Amino acid sequence: MAMTATAGHAHADPHHIGVVIEHPGPASKRIVTAYGFWIFLLSDIVMFSCFFAAYAVLSGQTAGGPKGSEIFEQRNVAIETVCLLLSSFTCGMASIAADVRNRFWFYLGMTVTCVLGLIFLVIEFREFADLVARGYGPSRSAFLTAFFSLVGCHGLHVSAGVLWLLTMMAQVFAKGFRADVLRRIMCFALFWHALDIVWVGVFSVVYLLGSAA
Amino acid sequence: MSDQSHAPTDHDLAPGEEEQHSVGTRILGYVVGLALALLLTATSFFIAGTDLVWQPSIPVALIVLAIAQMGVHLVFFLHITTGPDNTNNVLALAFGLLVVFLVVGGTVWIMAHLNANMPPMDQIMRMQ
Amino acid sequence: MLGKLDWSAIPFDQPIPLIAGAVVLVAILAVLTWVVVKGHLPYLWSEWITSVDHKRIGVMYILLASVMLLRGGSDAIMMRIQQAVAYQSQGYLPPEHYNQIFSAHGTIMIFFVAMPFVIGLMNLIVPLQLGVRDVAFPTLNSVGFWLTATGALLVNLSLVVGEFARTGWLAFPPLSELSYSPGVGVDYYAWSLQISGVGTLVAGINLVTTVLKLRTKGMNYLRMPMFCWTTLASNLLIVAAFPILTATLAMLLLDRYLGFHFFTNEAGGNVMMFMNLIWAWGHPEVYILVLPAFGIFSEVVSTFSGKALFGYRSMVLATMAICVISFMVWLHHFFTMGAGPDVNAIFGIASMIIAIPTGVKIYNWLFTMYGGRIRFATPMLWSVGFMVTFIVGGLTGVLLAVPPADFMLHNSMFLVAHFHNVIIGGVLFGAFAGFEYWFPKAFGFRLDERWGKLAFWFTFLGFFITFVPLYIAGMLGMTRRMQHYDVAAWRPWMIVAAIGMAVLTIGVICQIVQIVVSIRNREALRDRTGDPWDGRSLEWATSSPPPVFNFAFNPDVRGEDAYWDMKARAQQQSLERDRPEYQDIEMPRNSPTGFVCAFFATIMGFALIWHIWWMVILGGLGAWATFVVFAWRDHDEYVIPAEEVAAIDRVNLEERRDLVSMAGTV
Ligand code: HEM
Ligand SMILES: [Cu+2]
Repeated sequence: MAMTATAGHAHADPHHIGVVIEHPGPASKRIVTAYGFWIFLLSDIVMFSCFFAAYAVLSGQTAGGPKGSEIFEQRNVAIETVCLLLSSFTCGMASIAADVRNRFWFYLGMTVTCVLGLIFLVIEFREFADLVARGYGPSRSAFLTAFFSLVGCHGLHVSAGVLWLLTMMAQVFAKGFRADVLRRIMCFALFWHALDIVWVGVFSVVYLLGSAA
Repeated sequence: MSDQSHAPTDHDLAPGEEEQHSVGTRILGYVVGLALALLLTATSFFIAGTDLVWQPSIPVALIVLAIAQMGVHLVFFLHITTGPDNTNNVLALAFGLLVVFLVVGGTVWIMAHLNANMPPMDQIMRMQ
Repeated sequence: MLGKLDWSAIPFDQPIPLIAGAVVLVAILAVLTWVVVKGHLPYLWSEWITSVDHKRIGVMYILLASVMLLRGGSDAIMMRIQQAVAYQSQGYLPPEHYNQIFSAHGTIMIFFVAMPFVIGLMNLIVPLQLGVRDVAFPTLNSVGFWLTATGALLVNLSLVVGEFARTGWLAFPPLSELSYSPGVGVDYYAWSLQISGVGTLVAGINLVTTVLKLRTKGMNYLRMPMFCWTTLASNLLIVAAFPILTATLAMLLLDRYLGFHFFTNEAGGNVMMFMNLIWAWGHPEVYILVLPAFGIFSEVVSTFSGKALFGYRSMVLATMAICVISFMVWLHHFFTMGAGPDVNAIFGIASMIIAIPTGVKIYNWLFTMYGGRIRFATPMLWSVGFMVTFIVGGLTGVLLAVPPADFMLHNSMFLVAHFHNVIIGGVLFGAFAGFEYWFPKAFGFRLDERWGKLAFWFTFLGFFITFVPLYIAGMLGMTRRMQHYDVAAWRPWMIVAAIGMAVLTIGVICQIVQIVVSIRNREALRDRTGDPWDGRSLEWATSSPPPVFNFAFNPDVRGEDAYWDMKARAQQQSLERDRPEYQDIEMPRNSPTGFVCAFFATIMGFALIWHIWWMVILGGLGAWATFVVFAWRDHDEYVIPAEEVAAIDRVNLEERRDLVSMAGTV
């Protein structure tokens, strides 16, 4: 890395104050890709924040329908949460495996991640189906509207994640750990971890606060 | 724009990328992260259901725990640390968080005032 | 099978849209036939449609914006005529038609004129100014453009198949809810914005990443040209604000399609939440549009004054300050809707504060001009015209930001005049300045100055003749969006405004003539050196038009005004001789991904609007499959051999050497 400083200065200036660090030039593709995806994730989180805000505003508007504490089942949520946390872990294992080009552990990690994601989705789907069957669908009240949208939006993201995950497995199968494949795996991992962060918000704000209230 | 054409000198880190560590260290990082996350989750669930703490403190505690857990995820899973190489990633995160904070906080604040001054139609009906 | 779609969707009883639609259709078919017959199709396909070259994509964005400007402009003419004649009468446009026109006008002008214009200019110029070979994600860039085009296509389709929204450009509920707008108009509106919104988000991510991660050697943050800074700020705002629009429109669509209750009057829904969320996007949006324009003016003013930008650092600071503060003022759009004094006061003050960095910029431009050797070429005319116009618009904005005043002026013609004043005088003038300034860079020849100046003067005068009367009508109590009215005092002003519109139209025609004349005289107007204006930043350091790879060598930047600096150094040491060895250059290969993806998006959007569910699934699968196919390809780059690079570069160097020996000193 080039440092330009007036020569005399450099010594009298051990902390490099007043030193202009020359920009070294364009970053590598890996960094560029991941950074772009990072920016995308931030924008996705802003989108989630709108649904959170809507939930905060509408959560009291039950219009004579059920309140959160009447319909939330903590046990299910706990299982869902554990699934997602474990899947984040296994996803991390899969990325390490990809980095050291170990196919076996990569497939294993991704498969477990996928299964955990699917379990999460099944539980969520059954919760939704059950609510709708009891007449507590999203059209029942503004509260349920906000609840279904926020949780469902996260669920849709997880579904998209599962689709992506399977595509990535197929791609490693077909193409091996090519540089571009590795970059995509890195983005996928970021995506999956970010969804977990959103879920932390969901279970805290929606389920736990909702049943505490 | 190929990888080769760029000098390997730049000390940038991609988001989610760790500084060079051995596999063992990296796995350990995830294990610690998972343990912390599970611990915080368990605490949240426990607090939400318990009668042992002062009830009004529960929402605050839940929020604090949630933020802490998000922090754990960011550090151990997404590897967003505050090292000098990560400034750009963290700055982007800070901007994102600022916007999230403004949008959610602003919405809640504004809507509370609007609801107080000019309640939605069906609330007016109920008041009458 | 076809959902809600049947023959009644075609408005056989309404001649205006039908004829307009038919004319456009014929025009498109004629162009297509011409392209096919002349054998241009392969060229068009391989050099433009599938191109991932940021310059080409930028040009296509600008072309889209220009075409849509004509469409939106026709709407404007129709509205001005209607209001000029509809005094104590129905005028010639029935209410439901008039409502569609003002809704389409606003939607088109913001989303399909202003946005693509500024995004196109950023795409075209920013990589050049940063001294790099392409944007961060070339293929996604193309996807973004084609998705924007999809949105524009859907909006225009509504002219002949079905109808457009009658709800204004922001589709406020409860009017936009299913119970009050049962037709497909709002669905056209919402889905075109959702689809083009994805395109905009992609462009935003791409440009943020480009500026932050792809700069040539030595291009430190504080050496970037001002336009790169405003690009950064504007695209950060895109990334942060467009998801809010997406979420809000998604909520509206859920209400309409699945009976949700976000914004309904029943079951606890809350209309004001739409207001709140849409403006949380809407105010940042106006700065998304105007910040790039500020960047353009900075470049133009400093080039044509022959001086470095005055107060560069304060300009950077002001830009970033606007970027953040623009997220703190959105309530000023609904002061009158019950927020109460404390909330109103805080947002009012915040809105006034945002005028401060804007003012800083104005002073910086003025001081840049002060003592400079000013050349009043067309881009400079637009810039000076902007300064005059925008000050008025900004001041009326500050006036509106005073809550008690806003209670008088909200939703009046005064407001209409305000935002046209800032958007035309700021964004459009900026876009035109950028267009005139960078046209030689994009195409290799200058635009005709005489017609350019005529265009400026007609537009400038036409603007004031049109919009000053609207300020006055607003003060006389006229509200916006009136299909007809009975107040005699407003009438004369509406007539003057219609005359102004005619003058504005002449300005637009001059601009078209200017392009035609310049194309005819292109040999005389040829820019051989690549530096027609004696420019200061790196886009002028390469030929016009630049080769695909932009620069044979990634330039090495040593300070602000990189190219100016190079010219000065080159002159002192005649440095240009000792060039290092040319090397092979790898460039991304073209890809039809964007086009194909947009094709499926169009199908999906259309199917969603008309509730044709099987087609929705088809479109969705198609779009996914497109990306998988893209991800599966094995070679995403091709190599330009060193000899070819050398051959291309030497031609330009020869031309430039003469220039270099003269310039660089003032
Ligand atoms: C100097 C800073 C500015 C201030 C203080 C300001 C203030 C305002 C206020 C208070 C309103 C709402 C008035 C009402 O609805 O009663 C408004 C509306 C508007 N402003 Fe500005 N403004 C400023 C600059 C801009 C700029 C730079 C643009 C665009 C480039 C812009 C575009 C708009 C638009 C589009 C609307 C109205 C949209 C609608 O209601 O349909 N403003 N402005
Ligand atoms: Cu505003």
